[in-house]
Amino acid sequence: MTFLKDFINTLSAASTSFLLLTSVFAFVVFFNLLEGKIRSKVGAIFIAFGTLFVVVGFAVRPLLYLGIAYFVILFMLSNLGGRLWDKRVGLRLLIGALAAFGLSMLDPNFFLIAAKPDNVPIGAMIFLLGIFTWIALRKAYLNDRQLAAGGIPWEKTESDEKLFTWPDLVYTEMLCMILLTIVMIVWSIALRAPLEEAANPTSSPNPAKAPWYFLGLQEMLVYFDPWLAGVVLPTLIIVGLMAIPYIDTNPKGNGYYSFRERKWEIGVFLYGFLVLWSFLIITGTFLRGPNWNFFGPFEYWDPNKLVPLVNVDLSEIIWVKLLGMPLPKLWILRESFGILLVLAYLSLPPLLAAKPFRRFYLKMGGPRYYVGSFLFLFMMALPIKMVLRWLFNLKYIVHIQEIFFNI
Amino acid sequence: MAEEITPFQVAPKTPLAGSAAADIRDQGEITRRSFPLVLTTAWVALAAALGGLASILGRFMFPNVLFEPVQKFKAGFLNDYTVGAVDERWKEKYGIWLVRNEKVMYALIAVCTHLGCTPNWLESQNKFKCPCHGSGYYRTGVNFEGPAPRPLERAKIFLDPADGQIVVDKSVQFHQERGEWTNPDSFIKT
Amino acid sequence: MANLKSVQEGIVNSQIWKSVFRVGIPNTNRKRVLAVLGSLILHLHPVKVRRSGVRMSYTWCMGGTSFFLFLVETVTGLLLMFYYRPTIEYAFTDILDLREQAPFGIMREMHRWGAHAMVIAVWLHMFRVFMTGSYKPPREFNWNIGVILLVLTLLLSFTGYLLPWDQLAIWAITVGSNMARATPGAGNEGPMSGLIKLGDIRLIHAGDDARFALIGGRSIGPSTLLRFYVLHCMVIPLAAGFLMAIHFWRVRKDGGISGPL
Repeated sequence: MTFLKDFINTLSAASTSFLLLTSVFAFVVFFNLLEGKIRSKVGAIFIAFGTLFVVVGFAVRPLLYLGIAYFVILFMLSNLGGRLWDKRVGLRLLIGALAAFGLSMLDPNFFLIAAKPDNVPIGAMIFLLGIFTWIALRKAYLNDRQLAAGGIPWEKTESDEKLFTWPDLVYTEMLCMILLTIVMIVWSIALRAPLEEAANPTSSPNPAKAPWYFLGLQEMLVYFDPWLAGVVLPTLIIVGLMAIPYIDTNPKGNGYYSFRERKWEIGVFLYGFLVLWSFLIITGTFLRGPNWNFFGPFEYWDPNKLVPLVNVDLSEIIWVKLLGMPLPKLWILRESFGILLVLAYLSLPPLLAAKPFRRFYLKMGGPRYYVGSFLFLFMMALPIKMVLRWLFNLKYIVHIQEIFFNI
Repeated sequence: MAEEITPFQVAPKTPLAGSAAADIRDQGEITRRSFPLVLTTAWVALAAALGGLASILGRFMFPNVLFEPVQKFKAGFLNDYTVGAVDERWKEKYGIWLVRNEKVMYALIAVCTHLGCTPNWLESQNKFKCPCHGSGYYRTGVNFEGPAPRPLERAKIFLDPADGQIVVDKSVQFHQERGEWTNPDSFIKT
Repeated sequence: MANLKSVQEGIVNSQIWKSVFRVGIPNTNRKRVLAVLGSLILHLHPVKVRRSGVRMSYTWCMGGTSFFLFLVETVTGLLLMFYYRPTIEYAFTDILDLREQAPFGIMREMHRWGAHAMVIAVWLHMFRVFMTGSYKPPREFNWNIGVILLVLTLLLSFTGYLLPWDQLAIWAITVGSNMARATPGAGNEGPMSGLIKLGDIRLIHAGDDARFALIGGRSIGPSTLLRFYVLHCMVIPLAAGFLMAIHFWRVRKDGGISGPL
């Protein structure tokens, strides 16, 4: 038991980078899971990846754990295959997850965090997200199978059948309202809503957290300056969401669950919604402790935990460490490498449009392709910056304090 | 014979006499050539009026008088402070750390330069650490870890010529990255 | 039994009843149609709906849940306004009063939990709409309204967060509002803002930037509380209500609850 806890603690501290590094691959696994065939070439990539973790892992303990976890997950998924969408298997997974959560509540450190009033909705959110993601993908799987066999999606079989609003819809709505009212009243009586001591402007609580639904943004603030993480990127999230219907011109999958017909859209959306938004909220809630340090779920939140961390800028790495020179005084010279790197990153879409992504470019047309790919680049900037911070302690790629322009 | 207008007669001969429309008409009809100009003028005038209204509404959100706590306070005598210590006695009330070393004494403003949380002084690790996003600062106020983009700010500090007490004025702030820490107002020689 | 029936018929056929509910008990198809058409609230719905539109496994009922929770928040919020004063002297103690002394002291808890539940419900609603591809033509515009409503939901929750004036509140708002300081070109620490100068004087400083307008001063204080109170109780709910009306209207005009074309 102690070993298991230690295992999970170490794993979760490293899990952010693990998930971010691998989730791109994980979606490939999803593709294959939906079609019920995991044992393909993709499996080989995964095994190679996992082996890499284990080999490197002998030097760094968390990576060893990651490797083990990787193989365990791979093994389980490959055995489940298409059966993951079986109702009974789903129910067993849910019971397993609930039992794991219940067992974890026996741990005093875990209990302290999970039972904090403000964190209750996040606990509920984790399960709701899991359940609904499973339902959506299960339905997509069933429809895909129908379509592959030359049939029509399930929703279409009954789309011609119309019911009277009164009584069918009206009664469903009333039942929902009564049920929700009961839930809200029981919830409000059983659990006190969060309220801490009166405001004191001179002492921040430790850790000081934003409202839970903004913890993803707060996590972003660790890696980017406020002007990016607090202003530009949130704006782009909104703009990006609004742009979805205009960028995605795929006429298929309109009005029914499906996956195979919309692999890219669903892949990108799930990555953004589940990994970059929801998972970061969960990280911010359960894994970020005093002084915003990482803690495992069963770890004691020690306010004096010492994490030796000294950040460096790209300019420092290049000028001082690689070239052995002092930093140039003129910022445009000092930051030239970083600026070039950012420009190179932003010029990926036109370069890729020429050859590898020609198919997309032609299918989508210029404006859609560029808007879509720039939004995607900005989305991927977060995991890229996170991985850079984790691996090299890199703070800024471009650091122009003179005009508050830091990337 | 004078023309008689009965209630049923609706069309006098010069129906718009004296009105603005008639004036325009007298000066000449709006021609095909002048129409774009008239239209543009009208739209520009409307846009300017709406813009002016919007900016007045916007200005309304910026108050002229602020009711904020005092920024300036007296902090006792130099000898009240130990050499080499970060003094936290004014943090609760004014959000100020007074740091004294062998040569100088300065006042650090206890507001993280990242997002404005109040950092904590960790004596054992010899650093200020912000609980919000983990920014760390040396005792001098210079940042070295976490997301803080620049060092903590120093407040104006001087000895009152009348009674020799230390006076801290938070409304005057010195930024290291602008090279202002060399300003004689930003420290006291001890 | 026969008595009960006659009493029921007596009520339903009375002039008072008929003046309110014109149709009577909707027990024929004709009356079912008229019941929906003749009612302001019910005629948010079409007369007939797709079978999949009624299935919980398809819709998850999350749009309706979001709206219902908005109503719960409106009612409980209105009740809280009878006790709560938005000043730093009273805000915190009024909240204590609301939970300890006020009769049926669960209104504040329900308002808070309802807000959390509403955020989750709105996310799940968006998730369902995405997964069924229901943002595709002809529903693009309604998806956009939905995104704005999502943002307004978060803003409602965010402005409400400050009102109890406890430690959780002011530090969350400190962090949140300090981001406005970094708005490019409009915040005093945003990129490019330093370039806006008149001679040597910076035009954008802590006393006139985006954050200043948001919190009504240089630091979180009484004017911030008042501002957030007004935003929370009046400005954002009205905007959200207006957009919700459009949202529901468009659901109907774009072909009802989405289904396969």
